[in-house]
Amino acid sequence: MEGFLIAVRTLHFTAAITLTGVFAFEGLVAGPAFRQSGSAPANAAELHSRLDWLAWASLALALVSGAAWLVAVAAGMSGKPMSVALLQGAVPVVLIRTRFGEDWVLRFALAVLLGLCLLGQRRRAGGALRWMALFLAGGMLASLAWAGHGAATPGPPGDLHLTADILHLLAAGLWLGTLPSLILLLAEARRTGDADWAAVARAATRRYSVLAVASVTVLLAGGMVNTWFLTGTVPALVGTEYGRLLLAKISLFIAMLLVAAVNLLRLTPRLADSTSRTRNIVRRTVARLQSNARIETALGLGVLAIVGALGTLPPGLHSEPGWPFPFRLDIDALTAGSQILLAVLAVAICVCGVGIAASAAAGRYRRSAFFAAGLVLCLAGGWPPLRPAIERAYPTSFYAPAEPYAAASVVRGAAVYAENCALCHGATGRGDGPAAGRLPIRPADLTEPHLFAHTPGDLFWWVGHGMDEGVMPGFAGALNPNQRWDVINFIRARAAGVLALRIGSEITAAAVPEVPDFAFKTGGTQQTLKQVLETGPVLLVLFAPPVPVERLHQLAAAGLRVVAVGLGAPSDETSEGNRAPPFVVTVSSEATSALALFRAPEDRGETELLLDRFGKIRARWTSDMPGGLASADALIADAERIDRITAATPKRAGHSH
Amino acid sequence: MRGIIVALVAGAAAVGAAPLALAHAFLDHASPAVGSSVPASPPVVTLWFTQDLEPAFSGVTVTNEAGQRVDLGNVQIPPGSPAELQIGLKPLPPGTYLVSWHVVSVDTHPTEGTFTFEVGRG
Repeated sequence: MEGFLIAVRTLHFTAAITLTGVFAFEGLVAGPAFRQSGSAPANAAELHSRLDWLAWASLALALVSGAAWLVAVAAGMSGKPMSVALLQGAVPVVLIRTRFGEDWVLRFALAVLLGLCLLGQRRRAGGALRWMALFLAGGMLASLAWAGHGAATPGPPGDLHLTADILHLLAAGLWLGTLPSLILLLAEARRTGDADWAAVARAATRRYSVLAVASVTVLLAGGMVNTWFLTGTVPALVGTEYGRLLLAKISLFIAMLLVAAVNLLRLTPRLADSTSRTRNIVRRTVARLQSNARIETALGLGVLAIVGALGTLPPGLHSEPGWPFPFRLDIDALTAGSQILLAVLAVAICVCGVGIAASAAAGRYRRSAFFAAGLVLCLAGGWPPLRPAIERAYPTSFYAPAEPYAAASVVRGAAVYAENCALCHGATGRGDGPAAGRLPIRPADLTEPHLFAHTPGDLFWWVGHGMDEGVMPGFAGALNPNQRWDVINFIRARAAGVLALRIGSEITAAAVPEVPDFAFKTGGTQQTLKQVLETGPVLLVLFAPPVPVERLHQLAAAGLRVVAVGLGAPSDETSEGNRAPPFVVTVSSEATSALALFRAPEDRGETELLLDRFGKIRARWTSDMPGGLASADALIADAERIDRITAATPKRAGHSH
Repeated sequence: MRGIIVALVAGAAAVGAAPLALAHAFLDHASPAVGSSVPASPPVVTLWFTQDLEPAFSGVTVTNEAGQRVDLGNVQIPPGSPAELQIGLKPLPPGTYLVSWHVVSVDTHPTEGTFTFEVGRG
């Protein structure tokens, strides 16, 4: 079924793109070229009939592939095989009650109208009907975006994605779609070989160059926006099936660009050059232009086949990226100066790359060598600043944890740790377990801040495969992946708690520990910490009973967002009697265990943590600090400052399912 | 060279911004939260997805440890929230419950998944 769906998608895209291209070519390139060169009307009519044939063939292909696509989608949505979906009436449901179906009906209507236009055009080539046909075909092509990823995403990002998608499709229609028509025109010029047709070819290729450059620019811009939305990170690009297919598509696109560059920079000027009007040169140039266009078309079909496949896959952001290289670049580990230098060099490398390709295509090989030398210089210059960023990496380095960083996982992880890890790493994680002395390499202190220099994926690899050639054994056999993620969440939470002890009342902008998510009940509604954090920074109050009622009232009067959790005693629902203290929430025992990691017993009753939107601890007060707990006004000011800091550095959303 | 530009863009994204658009509706978050333990029986289970859903092909069921349905069968997509799925629950005794969802995104792709939550094991 997958192969069938990919095939019909590819055919339908091909048909829609070619259809748009035919009318665009006639209106924007061929028509004006004939008029400009003052060619005999018989020539225009000759080409028109061939383009007409191409239009009808594309329309027929669009209708057939469209119908097949509908049946394939109905099967996919209903989860049944295609024959069953057809007979059981899933198709009408899809047509009437889904967005894809509505889109399909619209496209079908456009196709019918297009057919009528084509019939009308038979009488006379040209005129308003051709522009109407272009408009209809463009509509058919653009509407394909509605079945895509951009349309399904809510909100302004979805609108941007959708717009980029539509522009990308239309640009493809104007570039890739016009290639078959160009081939037909050039074929006519070669076949007849007379001066009239040579003039037409000259004018047409000149106009075509302008059209191609404009469409490629739009195509590129739209493509970059789409890539950002659908993969957006290097691991997703090189580590997922989607990303790799996308890289293949981009490679084919680059190949097309190189061929097009030869056409644009070498052959079209040669054809236009008035001194080379000898028949042979003209004929040879036209022949080369035509064969190049054929190569581009073949590459373009490859691109469309990949597009057909891509649409059936989950985009890169939602697959586990398998990192293929033994190293990764941790750009954050570099100084700001190095980062800027590398960015400048990267831009310079791109410029040199484009320069090499363009000069070579134009035949200017010396200039090409000049750019090549520049490229080598940039690469050499970029190596020293890049070296400190190179880190060892593993295939799982960029996996998003399969278990969310939340209290339940942390508590499960604590149990796994006690059973499997404490022997060497110690009950408190400092590498001082009973078996540690016998090992040639000391077990790592898992409470050090260095833990956070590694991605969760790195830790997942080590827990699964061991370290230092077996000094630490691998636990892939003993623990299933979810258990391994649980223990990693626990280790990170514990290390976060230790790190938190170093945080004071001054707001830290540096890397800070994160509090695990937990669910709580307040006044009958259930929420999670993450949900509350979406609205802004929160003051998390961890107290040992009795409830610090006065302090909480003080905070309430100031209008802060506070969540107060009592640790060390079971939460008592009956205390929500007459004078229920504000902000105190009921949580599960797992949450109290996990949050206990963030409270030192010496805090004399209360620890208050000011969390930013991502749950990271930015400031911390305890009852036993000199100065005690902060005033409500100071807290409000701090909360605003934190909001501004974190708004400027949004985090990449890593989803786990 | 286009590849380098793409890698640049992708690299910038990895360092900086938050890419958002995702196809195939995946579970973004739920209430009761995935894997969480809630003190009392919730009246509804709400699931938020990363993409808008097709109502005609999306559904969810909730079962108890014995595999019996404990939901009211009244799955609905709240009007105005096309990426949300909600189902009512019978009053639940303490225990672990399994939520099984199967949805189709408006981009025609079906996805499914499960998660558990606990009631009352405080």
